[in-house]
Amino acid sequence: MASNAAVPFWRAAGMTYITYSNICANLVRNCLKEPHRSEALSREKVHFVSSKWVGGKPEKPTVRSDTPEH
Amino acid sequence: MAMAALRREGRRLAPLISPQSLTALRSSLISEEQIPQGVRSISTQVVRNRMKSVKNIQKITKAMKMVAASKLRAIQTRAENSRGLWQPFIALLGDTPSVDVKKNVIITVSSDKGLCGGINSTAVKISRAVHKLNSGPDKETKYVVLGEKAKAQLVRDSKKDIEIILTELQKNPLNYTQVSVIADDILKNVEFDALRIVFNKFQSVVSFLPTMSTILSPEIVERETESGGKLGELDSYEVEGGETKSEILQNLAEFQFSCVLFNAVLENACSEQGARMSAMDSSSRNAGDMLDRLTLTYNRTRQASITTELIEIISGASALEG
Repeated sequence: MASNAAVPFWRAAGMTYITYSNICANLVRNCLKEPHRSEALSREKVHFVSSKWVGGKPEKPTVRSDTPEH
Repeated sequence: MAMAALRREGRRLAPLISPQSLTALRSSLISEEQIPQGVRSISTQVVRNRMKSVKNIQKITKAMKMVAASKLRAIQTRAENSRGLWQPFIALLGDTPSVDVKKNVIITVSSDKGLCGGINSTAVKISRAVHKLNSGPDKETKYVVLGEKAKAQLVRDSKKDIEIILTELQKNPLNYTQVSVIADDILKNVEFDALRIVFNKFQSVVSFLPTMSTILSPEIVERETESGGKLGELDSYEVEGGETKSEILQNLAEFQFSCVLFNAVLENACSEQGARMSAMDSSSRNAGDMLDRLTLTYNRTRQASITTELIEIISGASALEG
């Protein structure tokens, strides 16, 4: 029941359950043996552009990406 | 360009101008045409060019159809497998589209690219309807838009209600990590009592069901269970471990959101490819029909000019003989 004790700590750090589970999932992926490990890691790439709108006007979009820009 | 405008102008003015000036105008116009002297038959150059361009467009649409078909096959299995993610949540928490809360957030899922039939406008239409349904004097309804195409449509009339716009989702193949990061982004930046995800559910290559999934915030779930409303059965479950019910509900609601969003994004991507496939199929068929008609016109004109020339030669020869 170690995970139960951890709950208040990651909540206090401002993480949501999604972030927490993603970190755990990444840990598990890193435990795989080599041919599978790099394959699993390359599969989970994040890339999107998000822009907030305030009062009908777009703010500067931010790019969230794992792959470096060419 | 200027010449064409002039010619159009001339045609429009023709009835107003007296016959003498009309002939003068016509001669001046004819001298501008790119026809060499002494040519009597109709030029088939224009039709030939048109045929060539239609043929090229047909090639492009056929290629796009092939690409969409191969992408569809890959994504369809993933979409169908991802349905197993939200089904347990529906069994536990239920889907309550009719719940009445103050802060609604509508998440419209659409594609970044066009040429895929009407799926994006359907998603936008349903989102607008949901917005209308959930708006009231003390209520607040906001949009979160996924994809370039819904953005273009919603910016026109619902600028004030847009909170976040997320684009370029499909640069890499869709995966859970990406969608969960997006879900996290939405959770952190938007206040909500109920999230309503609007997307096109994939049924077959030609049919897509516009669907809305509702995700309630943990507070609302608790309120509904305590008042014994729509989620009254949740209290019959036992909570294990050291956590309180509200903690579990919060974790559960967050995880439910990311799972449902993952499925929604996949289903919508699948519908997009299916719609693109059928749209490209019908457009290549249309191009084929058009090509047939043009070929017929072309051949008929060619035949007519050949016949005319033959008649001229024969009659000239017989005039010489006689």
